[in-house]
Amino acid sequence: MKRGLVTVVGALALGCAGADPRERGTTLSLPLINDPILNPVIAPDIGSIMINKVIFPGLVRPDEQLRPTPDLALSWAASDDGLTYTFTLRPGVQWHDGQPFSAHDVKFTFDQILDVHSGSRQRSDFAAVAGVDVVDSLTVRFRLRAPFAPFLSLLGYNAGIIPAHVFKGRRLTDAIDFSRARPVGTGPFQVADTRPGSAIILERNPAYYGTPPKLERMVFKIVPDVNVQVAQLRAGELDVILIEPANLASLERDAAIVVREAPIVQHYYVGFNQRHALFASPVVRRALGYAVNRAAIIAGVLKGHGDAPVGTIPLALGDYFADSLKRLRYDRDSARVLLAQAGWRPGTDGRLRNASGSSFRFDLFVDKGNPTREQAALAVQHDLQALGMDVSLRMLEFAALVRDHLLTGKFDASLIWWTTPPDPDQWAFYATGQDNNHVAYRSARADSLLALGRATSDVVRRRAAYHAFQAHELEDPPVLVLFYPRELLAMRADVDGFPRLGLRDALRHSERFGIAQDR
Amino acid sequence: MARYFARRLLHALTTLFLVCTATFAIIHAAPGGPSVLADPKLTATERQAIERRLGIDRPLGEQYARWIGSVARGDLGNSFLYQVPNVQAIRERLPGTLLLAGTALLAAIVIALTLGTYCAARPGSVADHAVTVLASAAMAIPAFWLAMVLILLFAVTWGVLPAGGNITVGGTGSLGDRLAHLILPVTVLSAALTAELLRYARSSTRSALLQPFVRVAQAKGVSKTRLRRRHALRNALIPVVTLIGLQLPRLVGGAAVTETVFSWPGMGRLGVEAALSRDYPLVLAITLVISAAVAVVTLLVDIIYVWLDPRIRLART
Repeated sequence: MKRGLVTVVGALALGCAGADPRERGTTLSLPLINDPILNPVIAPDIGSIMINKVIFPGLVRPDEQLRPTPDLALSWAASDDGLTYTFTLRPGVQWHDGQPFSAHDVKFTFDQILDVHSGSRQRSDFAAVAGVDVVDSLTVRFRLRAPFAPFLSLLGYNAGIIPAHVFKGRRLTDAIDFSRARPVGTGPFQVADTRPGSAIILERNPAYYGTPPKLERMVFKIVPDVNVQVAQLRAGELDVILIEPANLASLERDAAIVVREAPIVQHYYVGFNQRHALFASPVVRRALGYAVNRAAIIAGVLKGHGDAPVGTIPLALGDYFADSLKRLRYDRDSARVLLAQAGWRPGTDGRLRNASGSSFRFDLFVDKGNPTREQAALAVQHDLQALGMDVSLRMLEFAALVRDHLLTGKFDASLIWWTTPPDPDQWAFYATGQDNNHVAYRSARADSLLALGRATSDVVRRRAAYHAFQAHELEDPPVLVLFYPRELLAMRADVDGFPRLGLRDALRHSERFGIAQDR
Repeated sequence: MARYFARRLLHALTTLFLVCTATFAIIHAAPGGPSVLADPKLTATERQAIERRLGIDRPLGEQYARWIGSVARGDLGNSFLYQVPNVQAIRERLPGTLLLAGTALLAAIVIALTLGTYCAARPGSVADHAVTVLASAAMAIPAFWLAMVLILLFAVTWGVLPAGGNITVGGTGSLGDRLAHLILPVTVLSAALTAELLRYARSSTRSALLQPFVRVAQAKGVSKTRLRRRHALRNALIPVVTLIGLQLPRLVGGAAVTETVFSWPGMGRLGVEAALSRDYPLVLAITLVISAAVAVVTLLVDIIYVWLDPRIRLART
């Protein structure tokens, strides 16, 4: 009996260690945290968005400088008033089911995106689009309500094109055979098999219109826990994963793994709710900006994998980032002077008080479970308390934080972040009265600069508008920007062909991914 | 007998109704809301459109009445998160959990009964002490930690077993491959359960062995093995069977942790995902299925009692 057991275990071990060596070299595995919705128009979560970028190309895609370059569209022209864009589509493109791709598919996709009842998650991105017209089967025209500079970047971001012929009047959210099992796109890989809770297996699309894909297969495996993703990467069961700085220690000594940094269009910040008297004054917000030791957070929490900020426009946006302005610095004396100016002075106990004797107290919200944000929130709390403020940390689940506090305006301060398309437009976040302006920032100057930047397609004038916006942010900060993180991509050392882009944008170039054979 | 089953069925249905009502109340009282709505980028108009589509813009009482109504018609609703009918979501994931939890339960029963009766016959021996210490350790170690240690040792360091999943993706799906994927998760899921069962099995066999009828049987010349199996074990099984019956909900709960760490496509993980993302219809559907399973198992346990001990009569319970 005992010997039998040993034999069985031994045979299992021999037969099943890692993947079949013949598979290696032709298959790339990436993780998702749960089953995706395979339809870019209605996909609500980041995992779905990622895999949809492989299956559903858009009209354009970003190159390594984040500029829009041809994908399903070969070329385009904007009218002089910036109100119409005409796209010439690539001829001879086939959907994964063999049907021809045409301008009608583009119109269908955008009609769905703009329909509030379709379940569309991209409607606000394209609110400037008034309508889409089919000129002929390979020419499509977009009519805009007003000049909208981010338009091309947004087309290359999440707006994958879906096939009109598949849905036949069904609502996108009802077509679960499409979004859960058999999606039809035009990308370099098509779905071969979906295993709920386990994996989505993509195989090379032999009819792909671009450079033929190097890989035979891409597998998106459902691995919900990031520590387990790290273990699976090390065991060779995953090839590319996104990690947190906290995971670096376990990967550093592994020669089979390389960690790559990529710029990512994100800014992390502490948003102070300006509906509250405490944070209404720009002087107080400037003081708060001086009070936090960002360098310590970048070194300690991000292990150096982040950049010190100027304003809300991150470094990853290249020329739009105002490099000529000084990075925000840590200066407690300036903070004290500004707070005194605003009427907040330390009492004998060191606690800040105003003329009526009340103390500077507020709750700082942060989502629970992410070590980077939790530790950053602790550091912010510590720095502000050192200045005599009374800060209570409140850790909640992300969904509860967003729905019950951020969206309802019931919070004092929250540590959170924005991930944006590769475009400097921040009208939705920081213009007066916008839905996504959760901190209720109001500034006439910011409004006019953000409106100008959004409407100007001339790059030089546009850059000037955003540089002026960042200068204004130093005087009247909408939020306390903490840092611009860099994306940490851990991959098996033999993975190649990955463009120098963050993972989201890199997935728009999946036909270039490969695995080096000579190892 | 028929009256007995009718009464039990009525009890079970009442319990199911109460459990579902309580779950409905609890999940709606939890902070936050459906994660499909917790996207900071959604505008107010988009949020309202989603709420209307999901039906969560209606008053809570109305939502409850609609839900009870559709369950009565056999419709468990659609998942917010996955957009598929809940019945389909559960059907896709239930086999995974049944395989994992079933194998773990089987492993636990076999190991616990074998070691338990063995130790009961040799109280105070080295083997008995060793098993007791091991059992205490198995009960004390958190499943999550044990799972990570096993993954790091067997998958990362030695590379002899897979780190997760139920099958090698793109592989042949052979029996050996499936078994290899089962070993670590079953070990983790069954560890605490085995330990607990083992201690029950040991102490109840021990007390059974001290009963006068065992001594009588011994005096009649019944062999040692037959004595242990037929006379002592059968009597010792009653508390053990009760415990196994009570373990079922815990097994599903424990499966949630194990399934998450081992990326195992099961219903436990689905339940956790549903609860975390406030997928109300899916949480309710899963609760309903698990409660129904518990009701069935409880009934089975009662029937097994009768088989084990003829003195117990179903009609009297």
